[in-house]
Amino acid sequence: MTRKRVVAMLLILSLFSFSAFADVHITLLNTKAEIQAQLEDVAKVFSAESAGITLEIQPVQASESPFQALSTLYASGNAPSLAMMDPADIPLFAEKFLDLRNEKWVKDSTDDFEAVKTKSGAIMAFPLTVEGYGLIYNKAVLAKAGVDPTKIHTTAALEEAFQKIQASGVDALIIAPMDWSLAAHFLGVAYSVTARNQAGLESFIADLKAGRADVSKNKAFVGLLDTFDVMKKYNAGKSDPLAITLDECPALLGRGKVGFYFMGDWAWPALSSFASDQNGFGFIPVPLSNNASDFDNSGIPVGVTKYIGIDKMQNTPEQQAAARAFLDWLVYSKSGQNALVNTCSIIPAFRNIMLSPTTPHPLSESIRAYVAQKNTLFWVSIPAPDHWSKVGASMQKYLAGKIDRRRLYAEINDFWKSTK
Amino acid sequence: MVRHRKLGERIGTFFMFAGPTTLIFTVVMVLPFLYGIFLTFTDWDGQANSFAFVGFQNYRIALFDPVFWTSLWLTLRYAIVGVFLTNAVAFFLAYILTSGVKASGFFRAGFFTPNLIGGIVLGFVWQFIFSRVFPQIGRAMGWTLFSTSWLSDPNKAFWALVIVTVWQYSGYMMVIYIAGLVSVPGELLEAASIEGAGSWAKLRRIILPLIRPSVIVCFFLTIQRCFMVYDLNLSLTNGGPYRSTTLISMNVYQTAFLSRQYGPGQAEAIFLFFVVAGVSLAQVYFGKRKEVEM
Repeated sequence: MTRKRVVAMLLILSLFSFSAFADVHITLLNTKAEIQAQLEDVAKVFSAESAGITLEIQPVQASESPFQALSTLYASGNAPSLAMMDPADIPLFAEKFLDLRNEKWVKDSTDDFEAVKTKSGAIMAFPLTVEGYGLIYNKAVLAKAGVDPTKIHTTAALEEAFQKIQASGVDALIIAPMDWSLAAHFLGVAYSVTARNQAGLESFIADLKAGRADVSKNKAFVGLLDTFDVMKKYNAGKSDPLAITLDECPALLGRGKVGFYFMGDWAWPALSSFASDQNGFGFIPVPLSNNASDFDNSGIPVGVTKYIGIDKMQNTPEQQAAARAFLDWLVYSKSGQNALVNTCSIIPAFRNIMLSPTTPHPLSESIRAYVAQKNTLFWVSIPAPDHWSKVGASMQKYLAGKIDRRRLYAEINDFWKSTK
Repeated sequence: MVRHRKLGERIGTFFMFAGPTTLIFTVVMVLPFLYGIFLTFTDWDGQANSFAFVGFQNYRIALFDPVFWTSLWLTLRYAIVGVFLTNAVAFFLAYILTSGVKASGFFRAGFFTPNLIGGIVLGFVWQFIFSRVFPQIGRAMGWTLFSTSWLSDPNKAFWALVIVTVWQYSGYMMVIYIAGLVSVPGELLEAASIEGAGSWAKLRRIILPLIRPSVIVCFFLTIQRCFMVYDLNLSLTNGGPYRSTTLISMNVYQTAFLSRQYGPGQAEAIFLFFVVAGVSLAQVYFGKRKEVEM
């Protein structure tokens, strides 16, 4: 009697343990705060479609950099299965990530993987998003002021456009004073134009660190900051430029209270919630000079901005397999492609994804147009983890008028000379 | 009774009662602290699978960094101002609320409540007030001091930090001062009044000396909290504007995790520990020497 009972109990217990083993729980560290809610929906769809896998999305605090967040998680033994990181951070975690060079999607990708390849040719991460940034304009505001956005290729033309918009009764532009926006993206244009590609970037940074390069003598930096001076003059927030919050800016542009806003296409979810005309926006390049035929005055930086790495140190083989299944699902399944293109409004880095967005996404249309015309600049991911914070602080001081141009050049040069 | 117990028995009793707490304290605080000191003599970057010994190099890098000293000096100024203002406000409130004002229980609870709100939430609430509410009111009333956000200017941001710190901690210190004031014997004060002492004389000569233990405790708590503040710094100013209000704890965190210099960051943290420990212990020692026993 007792023996039968024991056997019965063991059988029942083993059934429970079966289901426990079958359900693999994986986590994705999301460092794109603007799509947190959308990714959670995607996770629900994936978990429902994949038998035995549950995906959980972990957010990151707004004030933390992706690198800070992931290092803390590794240090505490809670490394996520999938980590969404900036391109410059991936090599720092190369020892901890899985080699993905034999994955099916490598061949179908438009990316060259230069930023995430190790010396031995291992590919450490999956390209998630293709993004671009530039001066976003509101079509209605520009039309009313009589400004043609396709004709702005010099700093002088940009200033003229600002004046016309001002004359039509609307503020010309709004500058978001975030340190990451000013240093990583805005100054990124100057780094991009100087470097042209990954090898050029490495040598330029090496020169800056050795003191051989001086940004005050660099045409791109000088020209870009001249344009920034013009932007400062017509900034809608110029009475207290540092008090502008990130949420205000898409509200102002969306409602037609300003004509221009320097940001990337990731601002679309916020912008669309304020926009009456869902198609009424686009990008123009930030002009660097007064020479209209300069190539750099016609292109916007476009590139892969977020990569996903799979952890192999603190996740079990089942979790790693589930993570790889998730990435395959994103690229090859209908619901995965829909998740990328429609739910998260992402431009994917894969040739095989033919899906067009069902809801309007004028910013990604604008980027596709620049890509089609080959008017893109190299996307720079600056290889110093605190550049956005320290040089960002210098840019904020310049924006608020606390330091002059000479001091700004000195601070940028000093930053590189004191970085290892 | 049980006077001459063996040492072994006494240790056994100690561990039976205080054992769990001692164990947890050792594992969570002491061991990481010692491991941290060990790591400052290596070049481990928090990621690599191996590291090498580098002697005192990390300390040299940390202590020769001008940003570290700027931040420490800023924290010192913030701590001095914060400690004195908090204790002054707390004592003032305690004095009033023990002098027979009606509904003092309600006021005590009210003044204590800010302390219950965590540093992060507090910071966000006050950030909203300083950058949205005050400028609106300032512009409407034409007060230039409030027309721009206090968080856009380094000096005003410093004072914003001080104001919120005082607001948060004076309630807690007030409760300690009330306990101290209430324990001053009433007969002493009555005797002093009969002999013709005014309120100010009573305060200076009787009350203040007798509440010295409360003063020591309050100073100790406020010094330690002001020196080590991080959550309020993060949520109110995030070190801004342009990293001008980066207090020392935030500086340590940024050196280690933002700039990825773990060795120097940890070295800064160890140095900070010795500074705060030194200041706190000195304060308690000098305070206790002049304590009046009843």
